[in-house]
Amino acid sequence: MSETAMKEERKGSTLKGIAAAVAGWAIPGFGHVLLRQWSKAAVYFLCVGGLACAGLAMRGGTFGSGAQDLFDRLGFFADLGAGGFYFFAHVLQTAGPDVAHATGDYGTRLFAAAGMLNFLTILEAYDLGRGGDAR
Amino acid sequence: MNLLFGGLTHFGAMVFFALVVSITFAFLSKHSMIERAKYTLWAFFAFLLVAIGIGWLMYPFSQ
Repeated sequence: MSETAMKEERKGSTLKGIAAAVAGWAIPGFGHVLLRQWSKAAVYFLCVGGLACAGLAMRGGTFGSGAQDLFDRLGFFADLGAGGFYFFAHVLQTAGPDVAHATGDYGTRLFAAAGMLNFLTILEAYDLGRGGDAR
Repeated sequence: MNLLFGGLTHFGAMVFFALVVSITFAFLSKHSMIERAKYTLWAFFAFLLVAIGIGWLMYPFSQ
């Protein structure tokens, strides 16, 4: 493939970038599906989804929007990154959170880590959608 | 979901976290599959080493 053709293929737009970012936020990895990056999409979905599900299975808690202090607000921001997993946490976690025990507390951190990890994949999807050379 | 992750011990959770984050970082930052595999292994063992190292450093304070 010639260099011009490759540049043409990589050409994106801000709108495409935003669409990929929003899709990637709603369902981790879905932004990359829109950009036809199949392997990355599968890996990101499994990794972010696995981390979020592990956090919920360990009976970790999620932070709500009515946070009282800065740490809770940061926790809410991190959790929000998990997108669909955050909004359906109460469905996935049938037993409810139990942060009184260390395992539940670890679960809370795993879920927040899933959200932060997804923010990175969202940024990559946005960059790729705009035609950037994200690796 | 509970069947998969319900029985995770604290150490198991740490290993799972290290593996998943290493794989994601590798896919975010590297191009080829060989580079990604190398980076995943390196980051995974670095995560474990640092976590166990910090655990031992904190051990005297728990007594």
